[in-house]
Amino acid sequence: MTAPAGPILEVRGAVKAFDGLLAVAGASFDVERGSITALIGPNGAGKTTMFDLLSGFGRPDAGTIRLAGRDIAGMAPYRIANLGLVRTFQLTRVLAGMSVMDNMLLAARNQPGEHLAALILSPGRSRAAEAAARESAIGLLATFGLAAKAGDYAGALSGGQRKLLEIARALMTGPSIVLLDEPMAGVNPTLGRDILDHIAALRSARGTTFLFVEHDMDVVMTRADKVIVMAQGRVIATGTPAGIRADPAVVEAYLGTPHAVAP
Amino acid sequence: MAGSNEAGKADALQPHGAGTLRLSRPVLLLLVIVVLFAALVALYGFDATAQATVNGLVAGGYLGLGAIGLSLILGILKLVNFAHGDLLVAGAYFTILFGWLGLPLVVAMLFAMIATAALAVLTEKVVWQPLRQAGAGTLQLFLSAIGLALVLRFGIQFFAGSQVRTLGADIVSSITIGPIHLGTLQAVALVTGLVVMAVVGLALRFTGIGKEMRAFADNRALAEVSGINTRRIIDVTWAASGFLAALAGILYAVAIGSFNPNFGVTLLLSLFAATVLGGIGNAYGALIGGLVIGLSQEWSTLLLNARWKPAVGFALLILMLLLMPQGIFGKARRRS
Amino acid sequence: MSVDFWINVGVLAGIYGIFTLGLQLNAGFIGLLNFGQAGFMAIGAYAVGLLVVDFGWSLWLALLAGILLAVIGGLFVGISSLRLRSDHFAIATIAFAEIVRYVLQNAEFSGGNQGVLGYDEEWRTLSDWALAKLALIGLGDYTQLPLFIAVWLAFLVLLAVLIVLQGTPWGRVLRGIREDEDATAALGKNVFAYKLQSLAIAAALAAVAGFFVALNVTFLYPSVFDPTFTFFGYAMLVLGGFASYGGVVLGGILFWTLLEGTRLFDTALSAGQQASLRFIIVGFFLLLLSRLRPQGLLGNRAEMRVRP
Ligand SMILES: Nc1ncnc2c1ncn2[C@@H]1O[C@H](COP(=O)(O)OP(=O)(O)OP(=O)(O)O)[C@@H](O)[C@H]1O
Ligand SMILES: [Mg+2]
Repeated sequence: MTAPAGPILEVRGAVKAFDGLLAVAGASFDVERGSITALIGPNGAGKTTMFDLLSGFGRPDAGTIRLAGRDIAGMAPYRIANLGLVRTFQLTRVLAGMSVMDNMLLAARNQPGEHLAALILSPGRSRAAEAAARESAIGLLATFGLAAKAGDYAGALSGGQRKLLEIARALMTGPSIVLLDEPMAGVNPTLGRDILDHIAALRSARGTTFLFVEHDMDVVMTRADKVIVMAQGRVIATGTPAGIRADPAVVEAYLGTPHAVAP
Repeated sequence: MAGSNEAGKADALQPHGAGTLRLSRPVLLLLVIVVLFAALVALYGFDATAQATVNGLVAGGYLGLGAIGLSLILGILKLVNFAHGDLLVAGAYFTILFGWLGLPLVVAMLFAMIATAALAVLTEKVVWQPLRQAGAGTLQLFLSAIGLALVLRFGIQFFAGSQVRTLGADIVSSITIGPIHLGTLQAVALVTGLVVMAVVGLALRFTGIGKEMRAFADNRALAEVSGINTRRIIDVTWAASGFLAALAGILYAVAIGSFNPNFGVTLLLSLFAATVLGGIGNAYGALIGGLVIGLSQEWSTLLLNARWKPAVGFALLILMLLLMPQGIFGKARRRS
Repeated sequence: MSVDFWINVGVLAGIYGIFTLGLQLNAGFIGLLNFGQAGFMAIGAYAVGLLVVDFGWSLWLALLAGILLAVIGGLFVGISSLRLRSDHFAIATIAFAEIVRYVLQNAEFSGGNQGVLGYDEEWRTLSDWALAKLALIGLGDYTQLPLFIAVWLAFLVLLAVLIVLQGTPWGRVLRGIREDEDATAALGKNVFAYKLQSLAIAAALAAVAGFFVALNVTFLYPSVFDPTFTFFGYAMLVLGGFASYGGVVLGGILFWTLLEGTRLFDTALSAGQQASLRFIIVGFFLLLLSRLRPQGLLGNRAEMRVRP
């Protein structure tokens, strides 16, 4: 596909305060189209808050956020999602009282049957869209090892499986950029590797961009093209995994002393 | 270039902390009240306005005392206690019961307050604590509260009937101070209400249990970590809320004269309005909120027919929820 | 024990069944605690009464107008209050219903406590025609039977429509919002719009119920629309089953049979005490069901998840 030029996400001077505490304190960074970018930083650095700002769950107090050139700061979450940016949550949020399959189907986009008028005027189109969505849901569930669980309530899944379902559900929307908040946390390592492979494959096949928060440095170093480091609400470094590893500012942020040895 | 520009904007935004806003809201309220008073004096004359103001303070007394329990229970247990209005009714009818058993009126009132406090603690033990332990959701709690309200209200009606009653204090004299006329009973209710409000305020401020209750309502997680005895606080809160509700009900009965078992539901939305106005979980706020609602309702009689009085309470409730859900004295709530 | 008595119980179960379908759509399927349903019912009923009596409209046209007005009321409540926390929203809706009742009781246009009378001529004509037909099969003596048939026909049709709707992708979005509205918004669904639709449909259902209430009581007065009736609706809902439209039918029949059935017992109680007892029973119902079986008889525990 012929992607337009320029970064898919441009953040400039984003600020978010809670009761006077600056969770995000003027962060600026770009995410390149079709990249797999890691967002790292110590606990409380403001990564999740940054995700909230990007996905519309928080309105920045100042700064601009551009998605494919369009300003989305303060836009409603559903509108941002419909522009192709989806996120997962650090604390998984599956729809517990619905089946795994319904969780997936809910995520399908361009389903005319979700609108009352279309439902009444063209039920046929709704059914066709539904069949197509079901097919791609089955494929994704298989990839994520959840095919056998399709009929179960999502509330009956284990913690790791919920995480997987949430990622699969995000991909189900056919996004152009996916924000994953600690996708590997609580997932069995073998399955975790499969997911990472799948993400890499999706990027190659469809040019989907991924921005993920991860604490496991091995994963960051081996899987990310680019790394953004946050500390105390600011972006303190951006670069390739190798460049970041050598950056003294990063070492200091993680270990609290400028003279520590690189991790 | 863009970056530094935005950073400058961000800094300019900083002094806009929560502190300045929080301080100014009570001051704003005071200002609004003073301006309204002045406007009403200008429009309707001093005498009429003063009379309505005194009436408003009478109502404010029982509304404020009634709202404290509602607010604390909502703040501490996250429970919208629809049965709270019926605790007021219980206070009035327990008084009738104890009077009928031969106790002097004032003693009967005191016993009624104790009995209602016991009743409130009983509802905690029988209904609320088990529900919390079962991890009940919002709807379950709502429906239980409504169920309890129906049982209480119609339980009272079953035994006492729905006809209009009085407490049996048949004093028809009245007091006149300058332009203001006040029935002796209203005067008693006014003085008692204001005195008890002051006492409650001081108790919350200076006694150990009062401080613990406020801390608990303010931030339950923090209070629990700091080693407060949760069970005891909850029990004491229920007892206090029942006691004060009964007192409020009695003051209402004394001030209005006649009542039936429905007066609790009628007052409930005004009590909610006082609670929301004062900031949920804030006991002082509830007192002030009650006074504000009482004043608004009585002042409204200068402009509108008196039959619209309760509607003023409903309208204020909705307006507060929409415009200032954290209330005058409440803090902005964090996203969960 | 007369047949007329049970026909009347059936009428009440059907009317409040329609009313409760709306509550189920709100509380059961999208997680919206609508406690103002009696207010929407009052708007629908009074619109019918006043348009016919004061403006000479046809009863059927007035029914449509009543539905429309209730929907507008629903949109008004929704647009102003939907962004509130769920418990605040519930309180706001109760306040709304109280305001409606208060206005009807005190305003000039609604006849106050005198009520509104004489709007049901067209219905009487239809009803008499139906009775004549029913007489052919020996049922002509049951004067409330036509109303019973009309109410249950409407109830079952509306029930079927809602069941079908719930099975569509539209219904799935509602359930998603009930489970977690943030997660559903993050998937690109306009949560506000769906809540608004759900509230507007519930208001329309309440207006239909109000229309039948008007036909049943033959003259309208404010206390018919006491907010307590919303609580009755919720009692039916939790009795029959949470997140189950079939449960509304079961809940409606059980609730009204139990409630009205208490009239059949000869007791030493006065009429007033019997009336009180009925409300006490409803109260105990709500308390016990919330405690012992919050999902109701036909409901599903896994879907019983209305969070704060
Ligand atoms: N809703 C909120 N209200 C108040 N403070 C908040 C809120 N959300 C986040 N914070 C604070 O903002 C700061 C940044 O939090 P954030 O969750 O963004 O960090 P994080 O980088 O995601 O950390 P972690 O790696 O632990 O997930 C923290 O100090 C946190 O306590
Ligand atoms: Mg985080």
